[in-house]
Amino acid sequence: MEAGTVIGRVTRCSTRGFAGAYPLNLDIPPSFGAFCHAPYQEEGYVIGVVYDINIEDDPLARQLASLVDVPDEQILDSQHNRQIPIEFSVLTLGYQEGEITYQILPPRPPMTLEPIRLLTEKDLIAFTDKLNFLSTISLNPSVPVDDLVVASILQAVRVRPESQRSQYLASAGRQLARNLAGDLHRLEQILSNLSLALPGVTNGK
Amino acid sequence: MEPSSLDAFFGPSRTDQPLGFVLSGSLSEGLGVKLDPRFSVEHLAVGRYVVIQGYQSGRTFFGIITDIALGASNPDLAHRLPNMEERFILEVYRGEVAFATLHISPMLMLDEDEEQPRPIKTIPSHFSPVFEASAADVARVFGDEDDTHFYVGTPLDMEAVQVNLDLARLVERSSGVFGKTGTGKSFITRTLLAGIIKTGLAASLIFDMHNDYGWAVKDESGREYKGLRQLFQDGQVSVITLDEETSRARGSKIDGTLKIGYEEIEPEDIEMLAGLLGLSEIQTGALYFLHRRLGKNWIARLLEDNPETDELQEMVESGRIVAGTLGAIRRKFEAFIPRMGFLEPGAGNNAVDDIFNRLRMGTSVALEFGNYGNTLAAYMLVANYLTRRIHARYVHQKNLAAGKKAEEPRPLVIVIEEAHKFLDPTVAGHTIFGTIARELRKYNVTLLIVDQRPSGIEDEVMSQIGTRVTCLLDNEADIRAVFSGVSGASTLREVLARLDTRQQALILGHAVPMPVVVRTRDYDQSFYAKITGETKTGSGKRKSTESLFGE
Repeated sequence: MEAGTVIGRVTRCSTRGFAGAYPLNLDIPPSFGAFCHAPYQEEGYVIGVVYDINIEDDPLARQLASLVDVPDEQILDSQHNRQIPIEFSVLTLGYQEGEITYQILPPRPPMTLEPIRLLTEKDLIAFTDKLNFLSTISLNPSVPVDDLVVASILQAVRVRPESQRSQYLASAGRQLARNLAGDLHRLEQILSNLSLALPGVTNGK
Repeated sequence: MEPSSLDAFFGPSRTDQPLGFVLSGSLSEGLGVKLDPRFSVEHLAVGRYVVIQGYQSGRTFFGIITDIALGASNPDLAHRLPNMEERFILEVYRGEVAFATLHISPMLMLDEDEEQPRPIKTIPSHFSPVFEASAADVARVFGDEDDTHFYVGTPLDMEAVQVNLDLARLVERSSGVFGKTGTGKSFITRTLLAGIIKTGLAASLIFDMHNDYGWAVKDESGREYKGLRQLFQDGQVSVITLDEETSRARGSKIDGTLKIGYEEIEPEDIEMLAGLLGLSEIQTGALYFLHRRLGKNWIARLLEDNPETDELQEMVESGRIVAGTLGAIRRKFEAFIPRMGFLEPGAGNNAVDDIFNRLRMGTSVALEFGNYGNTLAAYMLVANYLTRRIHARYVHQKNLAAGKKAEEPRPLVIVIEEAHKFLDPTVAGHTIFGTIARELRKYNVTLLIVDQRPSGIEDEVMSQIGTRVTCLLDNEADIRAVFSGVSGASTLREVLARLDTRQQALILGHAVPMPVVVRTRDYDQSFYAKITGETKTGSGKRKSTESLFGE
């Protein structure tokens, strides 16, 4: 797996997911729905998707928020030079060992403080080629399923060449339809959000 | 999918993309197939052929699409429609949440190491891929045109493929051509008869009610077509008329005139007309008595101007016949028999022997009714009269042949129109036509019945009809009747109900390896040329197939 941009380090972990943290001054902070990976015991990489980003408060932030007139410099200083990191949670979607990628839970979780990296475009295309990860997301009650499904599909579509986007989106849509055929309201909501986010693709352009 | 030797048989030309996959079904009810969303349901049609590649074996199954339906994986879809303006959502729904299903009747199967398909004994397993049959697939099932296989039409949307009917099997059992009025029954029948005559497999005795077969025929638009006598000018077809005047007026070239002498008519010939003449059961019974007492002159005696002949008077006086019954019979005879110009006093012109001899020599006979075709009673009388006697001669000759005292009689096909009048449940049990239909090929005589009301034909007779060529029928009872006695064929009813009104027919039964919807062959100059210009040599060796509804 290629070394992508580091977006933080593992702070808590299990086979089902892990949490990471990053300093406030990171150039490219993780985003909701981003695909990332972290190594586990030198055997391979756990691959997951960011489903939650959490910024804790601190006493200074609370005090500043209560003041009426705070200089902009102080606000910026407090936003970027905090000692408390930003935490994010990752849902495990699969893992890679050697050249083989699996869309099932890994045998072991990554260790704490292992670097968490974004998947490169090439790895993202390869990993999302199979759509089983959508079922993993859809069946997980502890994550915001519908939004995460939309966000992950958006990532997977946008990373592909334009000529393949429409077909990929249709395949993903059909996979969702299989997963959510019993709940037409949710299915339509998700598809509608995808359509709004990718107007050029859903219009067949 | 692994390539197999089956490709050598069914050919490589079908598309690699399956139409769908088998999801449900049974041998008796047919298969349920979910259509792949990449295929448009709007481009399919019932009656088309499919090839199913067995998932668990190397077997290939050959079937016909008998129904097309729309389904939904969630029943709520009907109450909760997606946003119709969202093309993407509709595309996703289509094929997954909302999909099309095909109902397929499997007909034939082919093992990996076999060359000839045979009737199915099992069905393909779940998820077996279903492909549209290629022209090569269909052509192989129906074989080539040869000495006994006659080109009758092309499957729907496959103009390059010939459906060749096995005429040897067609004449082996009674057959039927059914369809509503105006759907082209006569044209199909004439095409079949041309094939039978050309191949020499049987002689035909055609009771040509509406002058459709013998000499020039006009269709509804007034266009003229050649009759069989014009197609076969070398003596293979004779036209015998009942109405010489009309035949001459039409310009028919006739080979004889049928005259039936009063003395030749027996009560059995009249009995079938009881309903038409209005003879009661008692009056019909009295016919036998009168014939017995009056002898072969019975008709003439009953028609005499002076009815009070001694013998009749004596019968009434002795109480053997009621005066009212006798009077009714005489009135009904007087109203019917003298009006029929082909009936004449005396012994007739020995027409039965003449016709029998022609048939025995292999000459087909078209019996033109001229204006008498409009009188059903005349048609039934003549058909019944001739058929009874000719059948009796065939039975006699067959018995002689069994004792090695004569040659086997040449197979005979008797063509009757308005067949339900002859094979109505109330009369079929004791008419010659019912007998012929039931005894199959025992005496080398079979029927080719042409009818628009198959529901009027007795069930037992219908079940004996080996090959059924059916044009459009829309009456439920008629459709049911056409499929009676054919196991598994009821699934074809949708196919039948959706035939075009012209030049389309569903052929099923003994003479075809599997049911087929054909666009029937054009009856035009090219057909004439083919019939008149060809020798009897076949065009190639055929891979014969067992009939689906075989022995």
